[in-house]
Amino acid sequence: MQKFNGMQDFDFTTRLGDLILKNPVITSSGTYGFGEEYTDYCSPAYLGAITVKGITPLPRLGNPVPRLAETPSGLLNSVGLENPGLEDFLRSYLPKLSNLHTAVIVNISGFSLEDYALLASALQDYASPNNSTNITSNSSGIAALEVNISCPNIKHGGMAFGTNPKNAEEVIAVVRKNTNLPIIAKLSPNVTDIAEMAKAVESGGADIISLINTLLGMSIDIQTQKPILANKMGGLSGPAVRPVAVRMVYQVYQAVPLPIIGMGGLTTWQDAVEFMLAGASAVSVGTANFLNPLAPLEILSGLEEYCTQRGYNSIRKLVGLAHRTC
Amino acid sequence: MYLQERVVENRLIGYPDQGIYKLVLYGQVAKSAKPGQFVHIQVSDTYDPLLRRPLSIAGIDQDREEVTIYYRVAGKGTDLLTRISVNEQVSALGPLGTGFTIPHTGELLLIAGGIGVFPLYSLIQVLSTAKVSVKLLWGGENQEFLESADFNYLKYLGVDYEVSTLDGSLGYQGLVTDLLEKELKTSKTPTGKEIKSARLLRAAACGPRGMLKAVTAICLKNDIPVEVSLEERMACGIGACLGCVCTVRGKDGNLKRKRVCKEGPVFDGEEVAWDAEV
Repeated sequence: MQKFNGMQDFDFTTRLGDLILKNPVITSSGTYGFGEEYTDYCSPAYLGAITVKGITPLPRLGNPVPRLAETPSGLLNSVGLENPGLEDFLRSYLPKLSNLHTAVIVNISGFSLEDYALLASALQDYASPNNSTNITSNSSGIAALEVNISCPNIKHGGMAFGTNPKNAEEVIAVVRKNTNLPIIAKLSPNVTDIAEMAKAVESGGADIISLINTLLGMSIDIQTQKPILANKMGGLSGPAVRPVAVRMVYQVYQAVPLPIIGMGGLTTWQDAVEFMLAGASAVSVGTANFLNPLAPLEILSGLEEYCTQRGYNSIRKLVGLAHRTC
Repeated sequence: MYLQERVVENRLIGYPDQGIYKLVLYGQVAKSAKPGQFVHIQVSDTYDPLLRRPLSIAGIDQDREEVTIYYRVAGKGTDLLTRISVNEQVSALGPLGTGFTIPHTGELLLIAGGIGVFPLYSLIQVLSTAKVSVKLLWGGENQEFLESADFNYLKYLGVDYEVSTLDGSLGYQGLVTDLLEKELKTSKTPTGKEIKSARLLRAAACGPRGMLKAVTAICLKNDIPVEVSLEERMACGIGACLGCVCTVRGKDGNLKRKRVCKEGPVFDGEEVAWDAEV
């Protein structure tokens, strides 16, 4: 297993409002299972946080196969929120997550406001003792909720909440009412005005914004003349979407004062630097884990080297530098 | 494990238009590889294609620390794989997945369709020293294909086999499932089932999904437990992304998903929900 030995005097501490992480590298929901899958390759203990697979109130089988289609520098998926459901998550998965020695972000998805309310209040009981002055890492329990209002792979709900500002605000407000945990609103890129969406979730009571979720896409097999995915459409991720993600992080940074978790095609440390310069306080690694399970560790080392070479003693100095006017 | 393996051999075997290559990797994979497992190989330094390629292990030599893989060029990824030279290092995750059950006694009937024979090669190889009698039934398009898929290696292994081709250019003309039906008929006494339990007959199969479904039906009808090795589009290869699931029917009768890369690629044929479209 690969190790990460950071330098002693470099300050990796990452502040996302009240959520304080040991470093800014997170893994994205749906790409990191429940954390256990990667332990042979990369210890989650080196990561700032892991975000688990999206949870719904009831178990879901997800979509039929094929669920994957490769595109140039990209990947279309239509997993369709397959997950064990809230009850089994709490019983079979959450206890093991506490042994991974990293902050655990639970991604929640629903089909109605009631679903989101139910998930938020149930998970509140498992909140990690967070006093907003210490790094969340070794403590057991949930560090934050990431609210998925933007899944493109389910027919009802999901993206419908994430593409209409009023609905997005409502969902976040319902979650806010039912939890004291830091709320991360995960935004969909499938909108005309991302700044408007950011303002909406801010009004709803979000503490942090993560973006982007996948871009709705499609791929057709020219031999069979049919869509490759059983679900026909799916979410595009991978390096192909990165410029869209960087642009949206840049716009959201200007639109709202909330801390940002940048993601979308982030594959190398250079990509991580780019997202942070655009305004992300933390970055999340998704599809890159599939290519290279060591990607999060390589990104950490690269970030540290980039900063120290430029005389920054803290990772926080990088955030938003691309917005300087001179 | 995340590994760098050295390429010992990577060359076209057989007729060029069959596009079948033999790849031998030296390194750690061989130490713990089991028949039915696979390696997940990075074929490109660029992002196109983006994902690794899962390739089943066809031969395991623990003394020489080598695994043998056969692959057929089918697209951009496998085409790039052919360009990797001897002595180059390739990034490999593996061995991955859950392989075949290895019997210690009795008889094992293997049924292969096309390049589905490759994972079965490793099973034949491992069982060549065991007290298990093995017979392979292998169906392919034509003689050119069978010869290109290293038919000679099969002969070298000295396993009992029968082949079928669609055009009759080699062996029986027809489908491998016909061979299976015939095999089970001839190997049975008039009382059928009795002899099966006495012989401890099991089966393992790999090939196209339609063939595996038919093979499973035939085996179950004859009370023969059968394992099938499935193929599915994969991303992570280690159970995290849920891209490559297979639908199974649980003991409670409810449909469930299992991951082809983790709980599979080898499944009990009886548990696979062959007709589920959910």
